[in-house]
Amino acid sequence: MTGLQVQLRSASLIRLEAEFDCGAGELVALVGPSGSGKTSMLRAIAGLWTPTDIQGQIRVAGQAWLDTAAGVQLSPQARRAGLVFQHYALFPHMTALANVALAAGPGWSGADVQTLLARLGLAELSQRRPSQLSGGQQQRVALARALVRVMPRPITAHASTPETFPGVLLLDEPFSAVDAPTRQTLYRELAALRQKVSVPMVLVTHDLQEARRLADRVVIVDAGQTLQTGEPARVFASPRNARVAELVGIQNHFEGYFFKDEPGWGRLHWTDVASSEELGLDLAVFDKNKINDGTRVTWVLNGEQVDVMADGEPDSAAQPGHTRLRCQLLEVLSLGEISLCTLRPEALPSQTITLNLTSRLLRRLDVGAGSWVQLLIGPGALHIMPVRTK
Amino acid sequence: MDWSALHVSLTLAALTTLALLPVGLALARWLAVTAWAGRPVVEALLLLPLLLPPTVIGFYFLVAFGQGSALGAWLAASGIRLVFTLEGLLLVSVLVNLPFMVQPIQRAFAAVPHSLREAAWVSGLSSWQTFWRIELPLAWPGLLAGMALTVAHTLGEFGVVLMVGGNIEGETRTLSVSLYDKVQGMDLQSAHVMALALVGVSLLALTLVLAFDRVGQRGRALQER
Repeated sequence: MTGLQVQLRSASLIRLEAEFDCGAGELVALVGPSGSGKTSMLRAIAGLWTPTDIQGQIRVAGQAWLDTAAGVQLSPQARRAGLVFQHYALFPHMTALANVALAAGPGWSGADVQTLLARLGLAELSQRRPSQLSGGQQQRVALARALVRVMPRPITAHASTPETFPGVLLLDEPFSAVDAPTRQTLYRELAALRQKVSVPMVLVTHDLQEARRLADRVVIVDAGQTLQTGEPARVFASPRNARVAELVGIQNHFEGYFFKDEPGWGRLHWTDVASSEELGLDLAVFDKNKINDGTRVTWVLNGEQVDVMADGEPDSAAQPGHTRLRCQLLEVLSLGEISLCTLRPEALPSQTITLNLTSRLLRRLDVGAGSWVQLLIGPGALHIMPVRTK
Repeated sequence: MDWSALHVSLTLAALTTLALLPVGLALARWLAVTAWAGRPVVEALLLLPLLLPPTVIGFYFLVAFGQGSALGAWLAASGIRLVFTLEGLLLVSVLVNLPFMVQPIQRAFAAVPHSLREAAWVSGLSSWQTFWRIELPLAWPGLLAGMALTVAHTLGEFGVVLMVGGNIEGETRTLSVSLYDKVQGMDLQSAHVMALALVGVSLLALTLVLAFDRVGQRGRALQER
């Protein structure tokens, strides 16, 4: 058994219900709002957060770091967890080299540590103290310190495949305190590192774009619970429930009812009014046989998949299953190349749809606030979820 | 200049500081990190010598260790005399100097961010190693400040010395007590010299305290960056 498996449950000060895993060489991002418990999960893996009523297990490379059923709970010192703290927590009275050497096991010589620092672009800076380093440099020292903890010995030079080590690398919002260009550099370094070292890497972040960009899989965390795990694109496109949709920043989620139609197809009643069909508010959706006929659902409109046409323009190439929706532009907020547009469907004035449209498109259609447009909504733009029941 | 009094004062200051350092260090470190509910009580007890008149402390010392008390009698039978001796003076000096030693050290330990302790544990350092290699080097300005304050305060102590030590030349007559004698005897020339010496030493000690404190603050500011 390789990689990291986490199953935790606690009801103390911080309520926690966590279940996720992370393969060797995989990067999993715990994503959630601040106070959601993602950092506590990370600290639990490192052995720094151990509430008395914690239950469950943490396994790394087959070894139990925590197994409450078996009475196993390793100290932080006995776990090979390399933790990069949010504000790095470098020892201010030690040089960069000493900071890293302190965490290095007997398999590391001073020269090895120096080589590692050089690989991270810190060769000239190894004798400096943290206060004499920039934020990005401090972060690389912190990363080096975490790495030597994870790796009992240095990586063999010129190894063609990443080497596996029996530890985990834990990154607690490491990119939040540096400026954007530095962040880009560090993203690249992390990517380069993953080609050399194969350990489970868990990244805590509240930045969805960062998670999307760096992680192989994301774990959506809210109120101490892991809500959904999966590849970023998949989680962002098909959130499991309305809360996940909200957390991943999907703006257009609505209520409705799902009805089965001919095989492979279903109908989505936008509202609970019986007149939905007459109002032209029945949307064709794919039926994946996961939701029963007549179920109340939350659904998401993926704005990137919606086509916008001028009002009154005939549907030249009518595609099956596409619905036309006449909407009025209520508000147009220009954000440079992109304009944030709020639209109100003519047939359902109580709802609004938010779309990010290019300013170029708006100019081409010659529309602004108050104008009418047509939305062309295909089944690919719709994602249906059962309403979450507590 | 009463050289024998200066010698007694310096000896007392040095011994008090040496004896108090390990005690104060342990107490300060514990107070800085403990979550125990009774901590304010301990802190209040430690600060008490700052507020009480020295006569109160001296009085209770005499009550506890005088010939009349069971403890004093038992000690006397064992050949240990604490009243009117340098040893007794040392004991009470350690007690009244506790706040001067503990306070700056406690502040210094409390200023070490907890994340540094955690970083040390995660790096594989035991609690003991974390103390020696991380916390103590970061708290040293506090230690130096505590030691300087203790030295200065011991040199300047008057009431307790008089109550507990009496005024025995070469044994318990300190510089401040000798100064009092000289003024009583209208020997103002000698009094001037000794007063000036005390002012000088205290000023030096306070300057050191403030300098160490600034070093400590700079360290803290760096850690917070």
